Amino acid sequence: MSEVIFPQMSAAADATGVIVTWFVESGDEVTPSTLIAEVAVDKVDAEIYPESSGIITLLVAEEAEVPQGSVIATVA
Amino acid sequence: MSPTIGTTGHALAVEPETGKRKLSTAKAIQEAIAQQMRSDESVFVMGEDVGPYGGIFSSTTGLIDEFGPTRIIDTPISETAFIGLGIGAAVEGMRPVVELMFADFFGVCMDQIYNHMAKIHYESGGNVQVPMVLMMATGGGYSDGAQHSQSLWGTFAHLPGMKVVVPSNPYDAKGLMTAAIRSNDPVVYMFHKGGMGLGWMKKNKHSIGAVPEEPYEVPIGRARVVREGTDVTIVTLALSVSHSLDVAEKLEQEGISVEVIDLRSLVPLDREAIIASVAKTGRLIVVDEDYQSFGLSGEVIASVAERKPELLKHVSRVCVPDVPLPYASQLEYAVLPTPARIEAAIREAIA
Repeated sequence: MSEVIFPQMSAAADATGVIVTWFVESGDEVTPSTLIAEVAVDKVDAEIYPESSGIITLLVAEEAEVPQGSVIATVA
Repeated sequence: MSPTIGTTGHALAVEPETGKRKLSTAKAIQEAIAQQMRSDESVFVMGEDVGPYGGIFSSTTGLIDEFGPTRIIDTPISETAFIGLGIGAAVEGMRPVVELMFADFFGVCMDQIYNHMAKIHYESGGNVQVPMVLMMATGGGYSDGAQHSQSLWGTFAHLPGMKVVVPSNPYDAKGLMTAAIRSNDPVVYMFHKGGMGLGWMKKNKHSIGAVPEEPYEVPIGRARVVREGTDVTIVTLALSVSHSLDVAEKLEQEGISVEVIDLRSLVPLDREAIIASVAKTGRLIVVDEDYQSFGLSGEVIASVAERKPELLKHVSRVCVPDVPLPYASQLEYAVLPTPARIEAAIREAIA
């Protein structure tokens, strides 16, 4: 199993980000070339791809605010 | 989806199945441009903030990293100059994608657009082609004021010589951009800001959707029945497709059956698709975020009234009344074709 981590996009240690869009649902099959999410910190966007292939489980709702570095999904 | 004749003379355009991979409309446009740039060196992009900024509505994000500043060209704020530059490049055999940014800005550069881009093919007796895409952002709903919220597709469609396309979802956005770049005619490509799937706009579930990875064309001039129904026909485009689908879904629970036609192109206009639907329902509502008078909504109604007037039991329009788009949100939403106004029009049509 691998974890999908919200990336460090801001140097501020306590910065939080937001899940702008989930392009997949829990139960979908993903590969490292699958665009799974767009996230943002302070209006700067980033695309998220998983590190490994498998079935994804989303842990955070769309539009939720989360700390950078937190686990937002798992792939098993 | 059935195979269709391409608009460009080469490969037969086939609308593929959507597959499972999802993109936003903005990413679908970007992918279409990137794929055509990889396969055709004559394709390039030019406009304000299309480079490192990635387009103010994210339609060119990341292209400069792959193709560099000689093919992704940031321009000064001088629309007449860079649209003229695009026309000249197209005449010489390039395939430019030129971004005007907001449709509202056409005023300063309209001579280049309608006297040159649109007429060179005609005035040269067909000897000189202008294979150019003029891309621009349209639509309101986010308090950007009267000079940044207009739709204006009727204005471009009114003037002969340009194809005009307006996608409402990621699938059509990619397919129409691919078709527009490959077309040997000038194509005005107008996307609605509220349908791009951007995080800073109102959420809209129709702005994220399945998009095939391979290049494909959505044929220019072909409408699509996005929802079948029997009681009333809604002919619409852009963000109003999303609103119409949401209203149709809601009214289905009351037994009201609404057919929704997404025009996708204004020029050529798929009049046959409009007539075929009205032949089924007898009731026509045009939902259009452009100004009501002298525009698309009247043209759609005339398409039926001129050819098959006996079909029409009811006609109405849900458009922006002939006023500038207000800045104040409550006032803006009083003039936009909102779901509430669409629902009221349907109830009136079947009463």
